[in-house]
Amino acid sequence: MQNHAFAVGETPNRRQFLKTTAAAVSFPFLSLSANAVKRYRTALIGCGWWGGNIVREAAASQRCQIVGLCDVYRRPLQATAAEVKNLNGDQARLFDDYQEMLAALRPEIVIVATPDHWHALPSIAALKAGAHLFVEKPTSHTIAESQAMLRAAQASNRVVQVGLHRRIGPHHRSGMDFIRSGKVGRIGMIRMFVTGDASGKEQPAPNTPPPSGMNWNQWCGPAPWRPYNRKLTPGGWRHFLDYANGTLGDWGVHWLDQVLWWTEEKYPQTVFSSGGRPIFGPAISTKEEATTDAPDTQIAVYNFESFTAIWEHKKYSGNHSEKHKIGAYFYGDQGVFHMGWRDGWTFYPKDDKQSTIRQKPQFSDPVDGNNLKQLWQDFLDAIDQKRTPAANIETSHRASVLPLLGMISFRLGRSLQWDGQREQILNDPEANKLMRRPYRKPWNYPKG
Amino acid sequence: MAFFNCDFKNGLRRGGVICALVAAFSAVAEDWPNFRGSQHNGISNETDWRKDWSGSPPSMSWRAEVGIGFSSFAVVQGRALTIGHVNGDEVVFCLDESTGKRLWTHRFPSKLGAKYYIGGPGSTPSVNAESGLVYVLGKWGEVFCLRLADGAVQWSRRLAKEEKLRTPDWAFNGSPLLLGDLAVLNLGKAGLALNQKTGVTVWRSPGSECGYSTPVPYQFDGKQMVALSSEEGYSGVDARTGKIHWSIPWNTRYGVNAADPIFLKNRVFVSSGYNKGSGLFALGDDQPRSLWKQKLFRAQQNAPVRIGGFLYGFDGNNSSRAKLKCVDWKSGEVLWEEESFGYGALSAAGRDLIIISAKGRLAIAEASPQEFRLTSSLQVLEPDCWTAPILANGRIFCRNSHGKVVVVDVRAAP
Repeated sequence: MQNHAFAVGETPNRRQFLKTTAAAVSFPFLSLSANAVKRYRTALIGCGWWGGNIVREAAASQRCQIVGLCDVYRRPLQATAAEVKNLNGDQARLFDDYQEMLAALRPEIVIVATPDHWHALPSIAALKAGAHLFVEKPTSHTIAESQAMLRAAQASNRVVQVGLHRRIGPHHRSGMDFIRSGKVGRIGMIRMFVTGDASGKEQPAPNTPPPSGMNWNQWCGPAPWRPYNRKLTPGGWRHFLDYANGTLGDWGVHWLDQVLWWTEEKYPQTVFSSGGRPIFGPAISTKEEATTDAPDTQIAVYNFESFTAIWEHKKYSGNHSEKHKIGAYFYGDQGVFHMGWRDGWTFYPKDDKQSTIRQKPQFSDPVDGNNLKQLWQDFLDAIDQKRTPAANIETSHRASVLPLLGMISFRLGRSLQWDGQREQILNDPEANKLMRRPYRKPWNYPKG
Repeated sequence: MAFFNCDFKNGLRRGGVICALVAAFSAVAEDWPNFRGSQHNGISNETDWRKDWSGSPPSMSWRAEVGIGFSSFAVVQGRALTIGHVNGDEVVFCLDESTGKRLWTHRFPSKLGAKYYIGGPGSTPSVNAESGLVYVLGKWGEVFCLRLADGAVQWSRRLAKEEKLRTPDWAFNGSPLLLGDLAVLNLGKAGLALNQKTGVTVWRSPGSECGYSTPVPYQFDGKQMVALSSEEGYSGVDARTGKIHWSIPWNTRYGVNAADPIFLKNRVFVSSGYNKGSGLFALGDDQPRSLWKQKLFRAQQNAPVRIGGFLYGFDGNNSSRAKLKCVDWKSGEVLWEEESFGYGALSAAGRDLIIISAKGRLAIAEASPQEFRLTSSLQVLEPDCWTAPILANGRIFCRNSHGKVVVVDVRAAP
């Protein structure tokens, strides 16, 4: 869902950047020699849409020198290199193998913006190589990968920021302050949701050879190999469960992270999820053609001690019966608080004679609607000041575990009891097994 | 000068005689036989049309529904042709130019291909007025030669399959270029040509993915050449043989080179969106030499028009932050920008821009390098309008992505 904006959407725009900085410095990279700001030697793994967004913020921050770019697909790799060069003059070295890049460049900061199935190995390798890490959400594809990443981070004494930019967005912060002020009252239930506009049965697309310049075997990496299909790239892997966790993994993690940010509880006690593909139809994967395989419909119920949180997505139907298309409703005994995206936040008091209170969003990138700029600044400040960043690995790991638990329950069709202290599913060996998966050779599942 | 460029072979139907007799003093009406018009540059020679709507807004000649997609119109011999996706079929519509009455349709099964957008076909039919034949490239590489009179199929090809072509992420969107006895298509790395009469492949290019532009004819060293985009750049090829003469590497994040290149006197202008920018190159015996490059004009889908040494077109991807800009051909400098449209598309007639905003506001503006000068505007459609409006015989043909068509009557008062 999140990627809907991108292919025909757009990317942040250099002119905008120049406009805002031109008053201070005529050319962003000319001022550096004079002021001798510490520039972190930064490398990016995964040069797609979001990796491009992050590395542009890194380049624009003037506090990073982009030394290396890595992707298994030549086209976005070269396009990203050209953008970086244009932004601050850095001539990054280009790689198709992240291990080679880490060994050759020893970067101080590594950004991992690969598809979910390729988060854990490069992140752990980067931390072991001594780099600070910025990794995209959700932290991993299976729970035990995220656990291994958490331990690698704790052992490394390095700063890890996860791309949960809604932790730092201005309207999210003011919204949290509003909820905590007590004006919503005592909150008993939260409903998180995304609704799409798709309709009809999903048509399969033919499998084809991968685009020239794409190392497809490496793209699949530790996940199961399948024939290339244009539904997978760019961005479409979100809807293939071998490489990501569907809408719950992609969008759900943002809103579940908001819930964990709000509550003092660290984890739910039980998780149940149900759903399917009633509109898109059964997933197809033959030698000749394929559809996506993620659910078009899903609910997930998270029972915490003092409240219940519900995830709900539908990729169809529109949502004109409600005022908001995406976000999280916090239901309190004084009214309904909606934390949204492009619609900011809204509080609907219980007494409808009282007026609705609204706060507009402020994005550093209005087109893609994100606050990556602030998240990147916070990451660098945390490194400078040796402090914990806003979307740190501990909270982000716990947030990432929630959609992954939901997907295990969805697969098994039963409730899970979650021991959040020991991070184990209770009394269900089959479910516990799904917290990890076998890696394809020659890759090895990260050890905790 | 441009006046006499009107294409007598394909173009003038009613205006032809007047054009020849009274020359520059008179007004002409002009057919628009293919994407970007008979001169392949987005500019009509038509002069006899009403651009000032301040007295009374123009009336709507007719409305129609033509299915999902971004196909523009070809208007020839009283017929208007376009394509759209309707319930699992791609449909070629032949409508009466003055009433919108459906004269015939040709359907073939197709997939919508709604990859991060509404989907549907993006190419425009091309008409050979002399032979009375219509050429259509479907979204997934099907080619049809249809009789303009009744839509009867003369021949068809399934080129993606038959020529084992890789389909790019947003499929095939370039329109056929009719050149001599060839139909040149943007398929493969640097084009593919069919015999117009038989549909037999005359030449093809090796390698993988095409871009999304329509083949543009140009002359070099007395030879007929064609320029096309691939996923990684633009090339010039010999129209007769398909031999590649030059390539400009022009890489974008998603391999989207969609805007047609623009030629003038051994210079070629190219532009792409996704933060890429524009460049002007000098053609010679070797590879093109860069004269300038800039990042402030990024044509995501539609090429600009070049009028009097200046380019006018939309910069930026399809969002409200896109802008109409005027760019100096010689230097690449942006001379002005206009924010009121957001994203949009345009063509021109003479020195007037015919603009539609993505939100469906049709506007006429002077092509002036000094400033944006609005002449008239009118809300005509709902979003999304990414297809350039075109003028033919006193009517402006507009469509949106859902297939709603509005034809605006701007014929001069009798």
